[in-house]
Amino acid sequence: MASSRFVLRYQGEGTKPDADVARIRGLGDCSIVDESSSRLLLVDAEETQLRELVGSMPDWVLAPEQTFAVPDTRKRVQRPPS
Amino acid sequence: MAMAAATEQYVLLPAQGLRAKGRGTTPGAQEFLMSVGSADRKGAVSLESGSIRIKVVDSISPDGAKLLELTPDAALAIRAQQPGLRLVPVVYYTPAVAPPMQIEEHHVASAGAGTVSLTVKSKDKSPVAGAFVVAFTNFAARAGAQGVTDANGQVQLALSGAGTKLDRVYVYPVTPHWSLLKKKVTVTSSMVMTMAPLDLGYTDGLRHFYGNPDLAAGAGVTVAVVDTGVAAHPDLVIAGGANTVPGEDPNDYGDNGQHHGTHVAGIIAARGQAPTGLRGVAPGVTLRAYRVFGQGSGSATSFAIAKAIDLAVTDKCDLINMSLGGGQPDPVLTAAVEDVRAKGSLCVIAAGNGDRAPVSFPATDGMAIAVSALGRKGTFPASSAEADDIAAPYGTDKADFIASFSNVGPEIDLTGPGVGIMSTFPNGYAEISGTSMACPAVTGAAARVLAASGVLKTKRDATRSAGIVTALLASAHSLGFQAQFEGHGLPEPQ
Repeated sequence: MASSRFVLRYQGEGTKPDADVARIRGLGDCSIVDESSSRLLLVDAEETQLRELVGSMPDWVLAPEQTFAVPDTRKRVQRPPS
Repeated sequence: MAMAAATEQYVLLPAQGLRAKGRGTTPGAQEFLMSVGSADRKGAVSLESGSIRIKVVDSISPDGAKLLELTPDAALAIRAQQPGLRLVPVVYYTPAVAPPMQIEEHHVASAGAGTVSLTVKSKDKSPVAGAFVVAFTNFAARAGAQGVTDANGQVQLALSGAGTKLDRVYVYPVTPHWSLLKKKVTVTSSMVMTMAPLDLGYTDGLRHFYGNPDLAAGAGVTVAVVDTGVAAHPDLVIAGGANTVPGEDPNDYGDNGQHHGTHVAGIIAARGQAPTGLRGVAPGVTLRAYRVFGQGSGSATSFAIAKAIDLAVTDKCDLINMSLGGGQPDPVLTAAVEDVRAKGSLCVIAAGNGDRAPVSFPATDGMAIAVSALGRKGTFPASSAEADDIAAPYGTDKADFIASFSNVGPEIDLTGPGVGIMSTFPNGYAEISGTSMACPAVTGAAARVLAASGVLKTKRDATRSAGIVTALLASAHSLGFQAQFEGHGLPEPQ
């Protein structure tokens, strides 16, 4: 099954528990891309499996990673000259 | 007889979760939520400013979220006096259906299409390099050609040739010049656009509303700029920061080549003096830079942004400026923004530049301060592209307007100057417009308000952040716009 990139954030007190991280790491087809933050994990995983696991971990929230563009008010051409 | 203001539906919630027992909810906020719950269904609720009438439509529990009907002015009053609670407009979801097919014109360059050379020069005849030139043959259809000037100030545009009629030509420099807008231009074989240099002593929108503050203004307040990084600049002092982009040097929080964060930083805290430099709204703050956009990249991930917010709180930043947004509502970012409140700080977030579109996420979060962009006629040249940003509504002073590009809606808390704002740029200065500029103007004003209050000396918890919001909103004055455009108005520190 295809994997996608997700951001997980630990909502409990203190830093993210090692045991929780180990459970996420142990998920099949899941690779942790970045765990440098005290509360966050960036993972590549199959969505259904990941949501099922995180659903059993009440101190965590999960969202697909998304991107934000540098804001800009400049006008832009959208099509060739008429 | 005066007509009663129309009511709208809102949901009143604790800072985190749906019940007031959460760790991010202050005792005062809990008490208020309970009092609303015990009011009769058309009851009056007491605020310090007097009673307001609300209708409690539904409630999930005595200490839980409430569905209310009230006027926009009543909503503003509740937000101001109960900053520990979220009051959000009700959102109605509709089935996601495919948009109807649209017939789109496919303009193809004519058979004789060629290239037109355009030269951009400063008033002293020197070439203006790096300027973004946008030439519309049909502005309504956004049809035309665009490009960036080279070291000689020249750009080649894919237009038919001499005699072509242009609806509009915009020139956006990255050097110390005003932008330029020309209408009804006929292409010639030697087209030249002449740019007006920036005069750093000019009273732009920022200086009109916030003047030239003392260097100590905002001292004692620590401000985070979550953005494209901040360049070393003679007018800026950066106390520290981090780069949260995975795979990059975590200590490289300098400008990533997009320049946006350097401009934002200068609006808050530039320490120069006109006419050789510029001064921001709160030059005395301790400024920290958190780079969330990759090197040379125009996009940032939600992971990098959430990590930067968490780091800024760890680094004891009191205010977190976020001149970014536009994505889908994201529970991870929402959690990070709400945790900022639980730990005694506050996010100030740009409403977005969608030409009057609804406020963008994450400025929609009820625990953040959402900022719209204010403009003022006479604070930019009539020949600049900023002239295009003038639009109704106008304020009590008819020179004031809410910029045409600014997003608006019931989530707007404050407005700030964001049209034709001069600030720091790598190797110099530039002027830009956007809610991205209005946001740091409000952050700087907030820093000055907080520096003059006692709230920063209190324990870093939800009560402290509620105190920050109360002080900030209390400093604001209406400029005469409806709440959806200005919220509580323009913050005006003493």
